[in-house]
Amino acid sequence: MTHTQKRVLINKIVMALSVLSTLIGMGFLLWILSILVINGIDAINWNIFIYEGAPPGYEESGLKHALIGQLLLISVSTIIGVPLGILAGTYLSEYGGVKSKLANIIRDISDIMMSAPSIVIGSFVYAVIVAPMGNFSGWAGIAALSIIMVPIILRTTDDMLQLVPSTLREAAFALGAPKYKVILQVVLRGAKTGILTGVLLGVARVSGETAPLLFTSFNDNFLNTDLSEPIASLTVTMFNYATSPYEDWQKLGWAAAFILSMFILTLNILGRVILAPKKKK
Amino acid sequence: MATIINVKEEKALETKNFEFTYAGAPEPSLKNISMPIAKNKVTALIGPSGCGKTTLLRSFNRMHDLYPGNNYGGEILFEGRNILTEKEDMIKLRTQIGMIFQKPTAFPMSIFNNVAYGLRLKGIKNKTELADRVEKALQDAAIWKETKDRLKDDANGMSGGQQQRLCIARAIAVEPEVLLFDEPTSALDPISTQGIERLIIELKEKVSILIVTHNMQQAARVSDYTGFMYLGDLIELGKTEELFVTPAEKLTEEYITGKFG
Repeated sequence: MTHTQKRVLINKIVMALSVLSTLIGMGFLLWILSILVINGIDAINWNIFIYEGAPPGYEESGLKHALIGQLLLISVSTIIGVPLGILAGTYLSEYGGVKSKLANIIRDISDIMMSAPSIVIGSFVYAVIVAPMGNFSGWAGIAALSIIMVPIILRTTDDMLQLVPSTLREAAFALGAPKYKVILQVVLRGAKTGILTGVLLGVARVSGETAPLLFTSFNDNFLNTDLSEPIASLTVTMFNYATSPYEDWQKLGWAAAFILSMFILTLNILGRVILAPKKKK
Repeated sequence: MATIINVKEEKALETKNFEFTYAGAPEPSLKNISMPIAKNKVTALIGPSGCGKTTLLRSFNRMHDLYPGNNYGGEILFEGRNILTEKEDMIKLRTQIGMIFQKPTAFPMSIFNNVAYGLRLKGIKNKTELADRVEKALQDAAIWKETKDRLKDDANGMSGGQQQRLCIARAIAVEPEVLLFDEPTSALDPISTQGIERLIIELKEKVSILIVTHNMQQAARVSDYTGFMYLGDLIELGKTEELFVTPAEKLTEEYITGKFG
């Protein structure tokens, strides 16, 4: 075998191996998705959106309470988490910079928080909010989700702002702009697609959280919009229904899993579409 | 000793025993520079890399203040005052002394909003006045024809040369007294370079220009006065045609004949 033939052969082997690994990964993903879609679509009907939880055996049972509870939890934690994350990220990049000791300590802490198991954050919120107040509540759930969301958005904002070339800042200063206008009108604007992607990914991440909700917002089988009371979420409802022995509850669990996955998938796809370079006219 | 000629014209700017030290540096990067800059003329700064041309240029609009710990010494006189004092208003100073950077710095907004940016900072809100002054600035920067039908388009869709002229339009829209150019053509192709050079020569009727360039031919083409800098010193300042033909200093002669640099 000549040297060239050997190289061609090795090239083919490596390519075959990487294609095979990709196929295995893709295979599992498609398997999961197809089981989810088959069972999910089978379980979905109008009743799900109309009725609240009911004992097993009742025709009129649905997920209305969990859907509304989930939307409430996610939207309020987004309203709290996004401004905190963006403002803190802006501080790190624009006022702290890469050399500042304080900024780097904050970066390290936020990295640690990002990789902390979410159940730990749930137990923290249980200790500081649920236990002293004496009951599970929507606010406790929102606190846990916001704590998980902030470091994700903070780091993306920080990273995206640092990608904005410093000459762009200097050019705005050179026209006589004060610092807050440089940040608001030039730097943040230049990084807005990246920051928006970070926000979407942060929202998608907390949308799938179950562990921190189990002992903060807990659960409610009926519709509740009072955030000072326990409140249903899709994830906890799915966990309860899926682990129950009743077939109609298990079906509702599939429906919850399907709706949740589609929601998160949509957020992720949106994030990609926004970041993708725009086609030139 | 340096050879600095007497500038007969009125002076737009003048440094006196100017020194500059970067944050944490043991030695000043610019030493004892006394340099007059003539009004409504183009003054070029040449010299090998690291000689302090850009550092000096960025002192005139106090760009160094954006980073903590930098230190000025001596005086820079502008309109009869020393602009290195504590009480100098950076915002006002930078509207009077504009700057064009090495790479085009179009803001992530429309062409119109780019040029209107400095005007809005000055507090101009009237739509007709804004539109008029944007048009005038684009015309003065010789880019009106290419942009008049796409004022609402994103400025980052333009070519590098167009963006650089847009930046010039943005800088002249606020009607500064002085424009500082920091190697404005080093990121551009020859044809765009030619366009910018022509523009610089036209602009000197209205503003005084200081340009840093790596390209000695460019200095010879566009400038009335040329300063040669070496290792943080201003070695020689003279009329451009004299400095390039009969330099007074041996170092200048060695540099322009290509013996080092």
